[in-house]
Amino acid sequence: MTTGLIIAFAAKAFFVVMFGMNLGVILTWLDRRQGAVIADRVGPNRAVVWLPRSIARGMAMGPAALIAVGVIVYFLQVEATGLERTTRALLFSQLAIGATWITALSIAGRVRIRGVRTDAGGLVLNLDRLFAWIGDPRVFVYAGLGAHLVTFLAAAALKGMPIGANLREIAYGASPAIFVCSILAGAVYSVMCMTHERVGLRLMGLLHPAADGVKTIFKEDFIPPNGDRLMHSLAPFISFFPALVVLACVPFGDTLCFGTNDGKIDFTNLATMVPREGMCVDGAMPLQVLDLNVGILFFFALAGTGIVGAALAGWASDNKFSLLGGLRAASQMVSYEVTLGLTLIGAIMIYGTLRIDEMVRWQAEHTWGIFVQPFAFFLFFAAAVAETKRIPFDIPEGESEVVAGYFTEYSGMKFAMFFFSEYIAIVSSSALMAALFLGGWHLPFVERDGLFIAIGDTVLLRQPLTHLSVVIVGVIGFIGKVALLCWLQTTIRWTLPRFRYDQLMRLGWRKLLPASLVNILLTGLVVLLVQSASPTVQAGLRTAGDLTELTVAALGLLAVVSLARYWLQPVKKRRAIVTSAQKFAARLGGTKSARMGA
Amino acid sequence: MAVVPNTPLGPKQVTGKRVKRPERTASVQAYVPELAKGIGITLGHFFKNTKEMALGQRNDPVLEGVEDGINTIYYPEQRRPYPERFRGLHRLTHRADGSPRCVACLCCSTACPAQCIHIEAGEYPEGDPRRGYERFPKRFVIDELRCVFCGFCVEACPCDAIRMDTGIHATPYDSREQFIYEKDILMSFMGRDGSQQSENPRHEPGDEGHPGIDRERHGH
Repeated sequence: MTTGLIIAFAAKAFFVVMFGMNLGVILTWLDRRQGAVIADRVGPNRAVVWLPRSIARGMAMGPAALIAVGVIVYFLQVEATGLERTTRALLFSQLAIGATWITALSIAGRVRIRGVRTDAGGLVLNLDRLFAWIGDPRVFVYAGLGAHLVTFLAAAALKGMPIGANLREIAYGASPAIFVCSILAGAVYSVMCMTHERVGLRLMGLLHPAADGVKTIFKEDFIPPNGDRLMHSLAPFISFFPALVVLACVPFGDTLCFGTNDGKIDFTNLATMVPREGMCVDGAMPLQVLDLNVGILFFFALAGTGIVGAALAGWASDNKFSLLGGLRAASQMVSYEVTLGLTLIGAIMIYGTLRIDEMVRWQAEHTWGIFVQPFAFFLFFAAAVAETKRIPFDIPEGESEVVAGYFTEYSGMKFAMFFFSEYIAIVSSSALMAALFLGGWHLPFVERDGLFIAIGDTVLLRQPLTHLSVVIVGVIGFIGKVALLCWLQTTIRWTLPRFRYDQLMRLGWRKLLPASLVNILLTGLVVLLVQSASPTVQAGLRTAGDLTELTVAALGLLAVVSLARYWLQPVKKRRAIVTSAQKFAARLGGTKSARMGA
Repeated sequence: MAVVPNTPLGPKQVTGKRVKRPERTASVQAYVPELAKGIGITLGHFFKNTKEMALGQRNDPVLEGVEDGINTIYYPEQRRPYPERFRGLHRLTHRADGSPRCVACLCCSTACPAQCIHIEAGEYPEGDPRRGYERFPKRFVIDELRCVFCGFCVEACPCDAIRMDTGIHATPYDSREQFIYEKDILMSFMGRDGSQQSENPRHEPGDEGHPGIDRERHGH
């Protein structure tokens, strides 16, 4: 093992751990905040760090200036030719468009919310007036998305033409400048807006989980006098460790191909296009920490040991509620593990492999797993929620029945570890689901060699991209899918009431398990049918696979547009000024803005 | 004999909208459609409230309290205004010269059902024009912890000397002694309109417009 490989391994492990832990922290926050918002409350958003104005200004200006300098230096130092030139022109024009419309949208949104700032200096005032004149912030979203699409289509349509080459040169030169300008403009605007002596850093309440984490470290670490000291201290670690480690065998991006030149790593290969089919022979770096050929079995083997942590905690606590909770946790997790494994058999039959990266590659080639195994996805999702011991399957910690279940006797950081391992288990199960059913790092029409929109044999659009950019887009897509699944799980938590113990067992053994067996049977029949089908039918299936990609892409675009349309639509409110209290509030300009002297 | 409904002698037939009972239909039994419906409701609340917070268009909890959505307030910074007739902490109104209007008639302390008012009456010194007409409170003490905020003292006062229109609610203190408000504290409070006096006319002995008997007019 060379030094480079060790560094790469450490970097990947660091990325995965950071990914899991940070998403876990964000989920801790989201769960509280979203639960409050659903119940018509605000939720924890008041943790604040007051920064002196100079530091706040530096925090706004510094990264923007760094990015700007980096882009300019990179652009002046590294001259690109051929495909790389096209890719860079395309990438930077997309970045420039994105940065411009997002900056414009956020400024316009702020102007919409607080009105024109008349107390601020000339630049802010004039910009505010401009954005107030433009009015609806939504035009920036529509214009930005339109510009993204038009740029791509124009690049593909004008390829090989002289005008296309000219446009490429214009984009190559101008887009980094526009990108830098819009980033700097946004930073300068926010700096100019900081007129107060100190600026509060709230991050939408994200500092709350950080404060809680610090707090739990310093809290009393209680061990029951008659409990088993060693086991009691060991249990949180046994619970926490597997939840995080299983992430190691989930690939978060496509295999990176370095060119090897005389045994040395050659990074220039990243800036070229790699062939669509096949894998690179040497210098391949899979973007997963553990490249196992039994990846999925490793996942389940380790995830299964999480049961031991919960059961041990219940056993070692010298408390009947803990014991009950531990027993419940053990029986529930063992029951649902069966379903979890059996639902995957269908998927494994179709993919024909136990390697998770191979499964993702099958999905990239054909269609996403959710379209070939929709029933299995649903069953797997239900069983995965049960496996993470979350509502509606949270009987191991059912507050109304067994106090707090297996972690009744835990406090401080050990309690926080149980708590946190639950959220990391959500992240890891979501990551597995994203890899098995939602195409992993694969995004519709993004192939190894670039953008390739084709339905059946008709190629609609073809835009080669460099290897590195494709892989980065894939990693971002994977993170997005995991975040979406995590969010769905927290939403379910705030919707459903808890099952009773017998209902839970009945659901597991008498409904989900037979359903997963039926799924295996049906999948076997379908696989046999497809294998013995005529070539026309198989070609038709391939076209159907392409159509599913088109559907996903269209749905994604539709979701973004409709969300922007819905979210930026001003709300109409009915005012009632009837009572004397309301008259009093109205005279002062409303309870929201005015400080009421009681 | 058959009972005919809806006749003057017969029983009145109940008319009303028939409410549909929830049925255990196949879709309810299957759980999944209902699950989707439930998630839809949850997401509806989530998107609506998040949007309103992001747009800064949260309900004004007082003025727009009729709307659905987040109606909470950030308490210490924002406060729910009390209605005009809200009975807050007591205040003693002032005369034009800054002395209390109270004449120490003990009506309020007599009317008080909680017996939380203690007044020590004092006589004006010899030669003072008010001597013989009225007295003044040497001490005027209210135990705000004992007070039930019924407002009987305000009703009983013949001089409009005690009022509960400060709009202040009792502040939480950490000892019982701090709730005992002496005359100087009670006189330092202002009404909701910022005044320490009362709009009702007050006539000092010897005033031209004095409506009643005074020293000059006692022979009438």
